[in-house]
Amino acid sequence: MSQEGIRIGKPKVKPTALTHVCGVRAGNKPGSYEKEPGHLPDGRSTARRSTGINARARNAILPEMPNLSPA
Amino acid sequence: MNWDPISRIIGNLGVYTKIDFKNRQIAECKVTSSLFRGYSVFLRGKDPRDAHFITSRICGICGDNHATCSVYAQNMAYGIKPPPLAEWMVNLGEAAEFMFDHTLFQDNLVFVDFCEQMVKETNPALLAKAEQTAAPNAQLHGLRTIADIMRAFNPFEGSLYKEALQMGRLTREMCCLMEGRHVHPSTLYPGGVGTVATPQVFTDYQVRLLGLLDFVKKAVPLNDDLFNFFYEALPGYEEVGRRRVQLACWGAFQDPAVCDYRYATMKDWGRAMFVTPGVVLDGKLLTNDLVDINLGMRILLGSSFYDDWAEEATLVSHDPLGNPVDQRHPWNQTTLPHPQKRNFDDGNYSWVMSPRWQDPQSGQLLPLETGGGPLARLWATALAGLVDTPYVKATGGSIRIQLPRSANLPETEFEWKVPQWCNTIERDRARIYFVAYAAGMALFFLEQAMQEIRAGNTRTFTDFAVPDEGLGVGFHEAVRGVLSHHLVIRNGTIANYHPYPPTCWNASPTDSAGTPGPMEEAVMNTPIFEENGRDGFKGIDIMRTVRSFDPCLPCGVHMYLGDGRVLKESHVPAMGMVGRAKKKG
Repeated sequence: MSQEGIRIGKPKVKPTALTHVCGVRAGNKPGSYEKEPGHLPDGRSTARRSTGINARARNAILPEMPNLSPA
Repeated sequence: MNWDPISRIIGNLGVYTKIDFKNRQIAECKVTSSLFRGYSVFLRGKDPRDAHFITSRICGICGDNHATCSVYAQNMAYGIKPPPLAEWMVNLGEAAEFMFDHTLFQDNLVFVDFCEQMVKETNPALLAKAEQTAAPNAQLHGLRTIADIMRAFNPFEGSLYKEALQMGRLTREMCCLMEGRHVHPSTLYPGGVGTVATPQVFTDYQVRLLGLLDFVKKAVPLNDDLFNFFYEALPGYEEVGRRRVQLACWGAFQDPAVCDYRYATMKDWGRAMFVTPGVVLDGKLLTNDLVDINLGMRILLGSSFYDDWAEEATLVSHDPLGNPVDQRHPWNQTTLPHPQKRNFDDGNYSWVMSPRWQDPQSGQLLPLETGGGPLARLWATALAGLVDTPYVKATGGSIRIQLPRSANLPETEFEWKVPQWCNTIERDRARIYFVAYAAGMALFFLEQAMQEIRAGNTRTFTDFAVPDEGLGVGFHEAVRGVLSHHLVIRNGTIANYHPYPPTCWNASPTDSAGTPGPMEEAVMNTPIFEENGRDGFKGIDIMRTVRSFDPCLPCGVHMYLGDGRVLKESHVPAMGMVGRAKKKG
């Protein structure tokens, strides 16, 4: 292709193409929060959000302590 | 005289002036932008969930303000409310951005116009006086005379210049901790943030903030000493950059206890913001209702390279409360670019449109300015008297900022009082006070976020579906002033999207009613205090005025010196790249 003397390739994507591909699950979809491991419905979380290995042993040791797992 | 482009500002701004040397005044001024952006054109048809990532790229310094504003607009369109912890984290990230950008701009860019070398070249008599004048707050900042302060501003060498660079690094790190990345945040989304909230993140932020407090406690009295000296040493300097008080602030820092992002309740959650929105006319607060502010927006043409959209489709005839929406409102705007030759005499000369705000009482279309951002924010917040936190309190005529003990300095209180004038000096002075304001608010946001963490509330995001049809508006403050994003969704994609950043308001050209833009008006009213005559003229008073607006455009100031003389000199903002600048003369 040539445009005013400059050789350019054929565009593979239209400028208006959406980033979301139909059929691929979107992270923002309702219900996503509940599906995340370790995230509780009341807004708190457990050690499971950080690790899948022996997570229960890494929870807070007392129920009144906030359960703050590492990033 | 032709500086093209001027360094120390970003973008493509041109200020064309005619100077009356006999009467030492600016005779004429036109403000132009030579750059077409087209975000409103190419956002149409895109997935609305991309909007904050794309619009963040509008600016290379306050991209996170655009991302945040876009997220606010999307929250409204999707009908969602982020968890409180997410709001506190966005507020913390934005507070860091204000501290970063204002410090960088004030100390490393604006103060070059006030440094020893510049004053020596433009006002040698003033420098001699500064050498003899003791700094009233010397015991606080350690600089004995006003000339010592000016020396501290000298680029690359001055002590304040170098310290400000270190503060810029600290505050950028703070922004990154909350928003993942600076300038273009990676963890801001509609519905919340992707940052994992751990106590460590907040501790890292706090350590840096306390380091900054020492700097702020010295910088505020230092700024006061310098600016008060200018008023005293150059009687009449208050007229430089002065214009009628017509200020706009769209509010910043949401309160998660009140804000639900519904248009119907926007009036209430707008007033609960920790920087109160408002329109200030002649020193009086006209409104702080975001619905009034939204409906009053009008985008005028007159000197811009666009065709009118009066005959185009009306996407939003009424807002969700049933109020009629004007065809010149951003929700209904269709951008129709029409490139043409620049014509300053009786034609069009800018790619910037002319946003105006219609006063519902008088029907007047007001050319509102942001005062560089901080002046309008502090003025509107002070008059509203709604902000009341342990560190920052609006009193109705002033703002009290209480900063706790920091590494080296004791507890300190500052009070910013509503000034007599809206001029160059007050725009610049407000900037450093707003750094103190943002630091005080950041301390408050940290405490609120830690309360959530201590309760174990770690949730930072809300899921959502994109509606087929939706309407949203985000009101926020970019660092240099008002920022709004208007969004219309049809068929699940963007049907219309219009960001209106602050420099569109400040650097707008003369509109269809013949009203000049704020920067044009401010420069036109500027008397000349520079001691150089026509031959060695640098235009320092004009440059101080232009930069007081913190224009987000690289600026070319073109001056016609009269008697058919046009002096041209080119600069490139590439230090050491000698030979790249093409000199014309």
